[in-house]
Amino acid sequence: MPFARPLMWNVPPAAELILYLMIPVVLVLIVWGIVWRVRKWSIGQPEPGLGSLGGYVARLLRTGRLGEWIRTALFQGRLSRDPFALTMHLAIFWGMVVLFLGTAAATIDQDIAHLIFGWQILRGGLYQVFELALDLFGVVLLVGLALAGYRRVVQRPARLAAPSRPVSFWDSFPFLQLLALIAITGFLVEGLRLAQGFQLEALVRQTQTAQKDQGASPRPAQSPAEQIPLAKSSHSPTPSDQPTDKPIWRTRWEAMAGGHLHEEHQQAEMARIAGGGPVFPAAGWAPVGWLVGKLFQNASFEALQTWHRLLWWTHALLAFVFLIAIPWTKAFHLISSPVNLFLRASRPVGRLPVAAPAGVAQLRDFTWQQLMQIDSCTWCGRCQEVCPGHQCHFPLSPRDFVHAVDGLLLRTPVRRASSTEAEDNHGPAGTGSARASASAAGALASTAEQTGSAGRDGSATDAGAPGFPHSASQAAPAAKILPKLHGQTIPADVLWSCCTCRACEDICPVGIEHPRAIVDMRRHLVDQGQVDENLQEALMNLQRYGNSFGQSPRKRTEGLQKAGLPVKDARKEEVEFLWFLGDYAAYDPRVLEATQAMARLFSLAGVSVGFLMDKEQNAGNDVRRVGEEGLFEMLRDKNLQALATARFQAIVTTDPHSYNTLKNEYPYGGNGEAEGNGSPSDTAPTAQTKETSEEQSPLAGKPIFHAVELLDRWIAEGRLPIRRRLEDLTVTYHDPCYLGRYNGIYDPPRRVLAALGVRLLEMPRSRENSFCCGAGGGRIWMKDMPGIQVRPAEKRIHEALQLPGVQVLVVACPKDLVMFQDAVKTTGAEARLKIMDISQLVLQAVTPEENPPPT
Amino acid sequence: MKIAVVIRHVPDLIEPLEVDSTGKAFDLSSAAFVLNESDDHALEQALLLKEKHGGSVTVLSIDFGDVDNSLYAAAAKGADQILKLLWDDPNRSPSPQQAARMYAEVLRSQGPDLVLVGVQAPDELDGVLSAELAVCLGWPYVGVVRGVQAADGQSLLVCKEFPGAVMAQYEVRLPAVLGILGAEQPPRYVPVSRIRAAMKSTQIAEQEAAVPAEAARVEVDQLYPPAPAERAEMLTGSPEQVANRIAALLEEKGLLR
Repeated sequence: MPFARPLMWNVPPAAELILYLMIPVVLVLIVWGIVWRVRKWSIGQPEPGLGSLGGYVARLLRTGRLGEWIRTALFQGRLSRDPFALTMHLAIFWGMVVLFLGTAAATIDQDIAHLIFGWQILRGGLYQVFELALDLFGVVLLVGLALAGYRRVVQRPARLAAPSRPVSFWDSFPFLQLLALIAITGFLVEGLRLAQGFQLEALVRQTQTAQKDQGASPRPAQSPAEQIPLAKSSHSPTPSDQPTDKPIWRTRWEAMAGGHLHEEHQQAEMARIAGGGPVFPAAGWAPVGWLVGKLFQNASFEALQTWHRLLWWTHALLAFVFLIAIPWTKAFHLISSPVNLFLRASRPVGRLPVAAPAGVAQLRDFTWQQLMQIDSCTWCGRCQEVCPGHQCHFPLSPRDFVHAVDGLLLRTPVRRASSTEAEDNHGPAGTGSARASASAAGALASTAEQTGSAGRDGSATDAGAPGFPHSASQAAPAAKILPKLHGQTIPADVLWSCCTCRACEDICPVGIEHPRAIVDMRRHLVDQGQVDENLQEALMNLQRYGNSFGQSPRKRTEGLQKAGLPVKDARKEEVEFLWFLGDYAAYDPRVLEATQAMARLFSLAGVSVGFLMDKEQNAGNDVRRVGEEGLFEMLRDKNLQALATARFQAIVTTDPHSYNTLKNEYPYGGNGEAEGNGSPSDTAPTAQTKETSEEQSPLAGKPIFHAVELLDRWIAEGRLPIRRRLEDLTVTYHDPCYLGRYNGIYDPPRRVLAALGVRLLEMPRSRENSFCCGAGGGRIWMKDMPGIQVRPAEKRIHEALQLPGVQVLVVACPKDLVMFQDAVKTTGAEARLKIMDISQLVLQAVTPEENPPPT
Repeated sequence: MKIAVVIRHVPDLIEPLEVDSTGKAFDLSSAAFVLNESDDHALEQALLLKEKHGGSVTVLSIDFGDVDNSLYAAAAKGADQILKLLWDDPNRSPSPQQAARMYAEVLRSQGPDLVLVGVQAPDELDGVLSAELAVCLGWPYVGVVRGVQAADGQSLLVCKEFPGAVMAQYEVRLPAVLGILGAEQPPRYVPVSRIRAAMKSTQIAEQEAAVPAEAARVEVDQLYPPAPAERAEMLTGSPEQVANRIAALLEEKGLLR
């Protein structure tokens, strides 16, 4: 006959009732926690470009991003670069999910199916599978927790070291230990239950033997194992006692299982057990529980009963504690991370959303989505581990940045305090009033202080700064006065340390956009005039001349003209490609050779190339990321005006930074989804982009290429035939951040290098793991961070030098050329490693041996 | 304290200046103009004084060389009033003597306590304007000033720089004119968005200025680029060749060991 899952073994109905009475309390605490979090986010601004939720979901389904969400949220695909962590996290997550679903199924089985309908779902084969699954995933969970313990206790990576300042009391919540205790008590409860079953089965057999002994057929003696006394002697009547009365097993069974089962089920179970059936028919399907049961089967029945009940309570209460802890601890990422990954913008990663030029002055100026992101951090520290700033001892750790902002968020009252914060913070943007400028001056003064005193760990270490009121003595008088976002929570140096290389954002398992938040905060510093003097000079030059070098706009094409290369004015004659030079390719003498090489390659490929001449302005990529939004808009608009007067089919640039902003941030048939970017195979204008308002954008339908994409194509098409293969050359390739991580162009340069015949060795950090040269986000314009010991570019040179026999570090970015040429000198590696642009190598390979190009 | 700041736009020397057909003036028809650097410092010094001691800052300039941009930038930085003096020929800058008289006339009606002017400009390294302005107003004057502090309501403590990094402190009774070389802090950065906001929210006050007849005391006879002297050797060639030549020369002269 079919058997079913035993209900509430050894749990008196009163206990069950108490448990159920606790559930509303637990739910209230959970909901309270979630509301607490969500209300914190609600102090933020609306998120631009998100639209209605319904529209967002529809877009998500249409663009196939749902699969991506399942991969990243349910299967933690963003951890795939760290297989150890992925295994660990999948084990813990799915272990908990299955155990939770199992518990839910058991509840339905008992309190809906059985209690209301007098029938059970978990019966027969299904019940066996249920038992097996729960046992297996319990083990999976414990394995995951063991891996986590190994990493945290034995390996102890620096990134997991506790952040210097706790967000709250809940920070130190022993989360993994709690999960482990839940799993272990679960197995113990099951084992002790099964041990009781084993004892009852032995009793049944003894009763049967006794009955048979009384009757006729003699049986062989029981094995010694089955004769072990099952309980204390006083409570253990011999099998021969009162043979006609209820056998002892029956009394016990009823005491343990009765009260939960309907009468007819109880009778059926009794009959089954009396017939020698197992007390727990699925015991063998729960291998761990079975083993634990065997381990304890010789304990006294009373002890088993007491301990079982005690552990049952412990297990239940721990599970409740876990559930309550979810919204109140970093376990909240269980909810916030999937939501965050779900809402992750569909915009390209290279496009910063439109935002007010005045930026984020206080917490409330972030959008709610940014606050949610910050609030979903688990402090795993991967961002810190890959951050070039952190590795070079800049005062920045992306993890501590997020952590500090989150700490402030969780302390900030949802309702705007009428007193301190609003007044203390700088007034709204763009007032231009005396008050605003007064605060600007104060800000200027405080920059100077901060520059001197900002600490290594990105916190305000000087004793004067109030910092976090986390110690009691500080908290008492300053209970209501929150630290300011700028300065006290996030010193300016932390913000200026960022190279916007996106390594942190790219690796963040929960989808936090650190660079966006940092740029938003930088905007406020710029708005208050807090910029270092080198940066100020660059910005003034950009305002005046449209280039950071402070050179005459007329000299932009001078380097090409002086080399006798044809320089066509795309405003006067139509060209196939408009070459957007960018500042470094045009003005930096160290890059000129690479720029000239590229120009020669254009001629060799037989394409016509033109320029905006003196009307080209810096494209504004890094101006934007410095936080000078108004200047970015000015430069963009001037470029668009110039582009409107030119006739061309496509844009090409050698500068990944210009490439990124032209491709992603200039209006291309609207600021929406239309990319307007054909695949590299169609140069001809495509009509598909004229979707929205910006149809008259001079870029509408004009594809934009990085030069390396064209080189790749032309070599493959035979337009640039390779005349001598550079086979005795061993090179490595550095992925520029704005080409690779920002725009996913990893393969074209590698295909080009393969076609040249060079031996390509990959550095340990390549492709999406590439390590920034330290120039991005306007850092190339700024002074070195105080206290740095090694520059990012120097670190990268050391990395390249470790590859055996590498002669050339190949780059595809003018800024890289500058940074690495400097770094190769400062590291004294000039004789061992040459820095070359990929165009220079291509030019060598396509030029016949007899007349090598000047190198 | 009511502070007035005089600013000037001067030709941007990033492009080579050409002498015009008369041979006596620069051809400014295609020149770009920038704010005179020491005027920028004068403005910064005025803003610092205002922030420390209160008062107001009025920035005024003769209409020449797209000066509007710098006036709006001054407003964005915190100037309370921006004022442009219209005169008959915006394509030509008045001589310092003329300019001083024009500014003096306006300033007399404005009645400031303090006038700050950049002490020099690329076209008058001898600092005529600030001194001439003090003469026209009949007020005390200190030039080559690197720092200003208010002593009390009636006077200022002023640091004047002398060659050899010698600083002298003067007490100056107000009203006074100061020729500023450098402010106590480098001029602040004002973001483009704030300048744009100032363009929307601030009006440039305009005032007709009577152009005083030029008392032609000094006249330009001829403008010409310096001819390279014969003893100069111009190094040509690739950067590498030039660098090698320089190194060789230094060695030759015994400057390298």
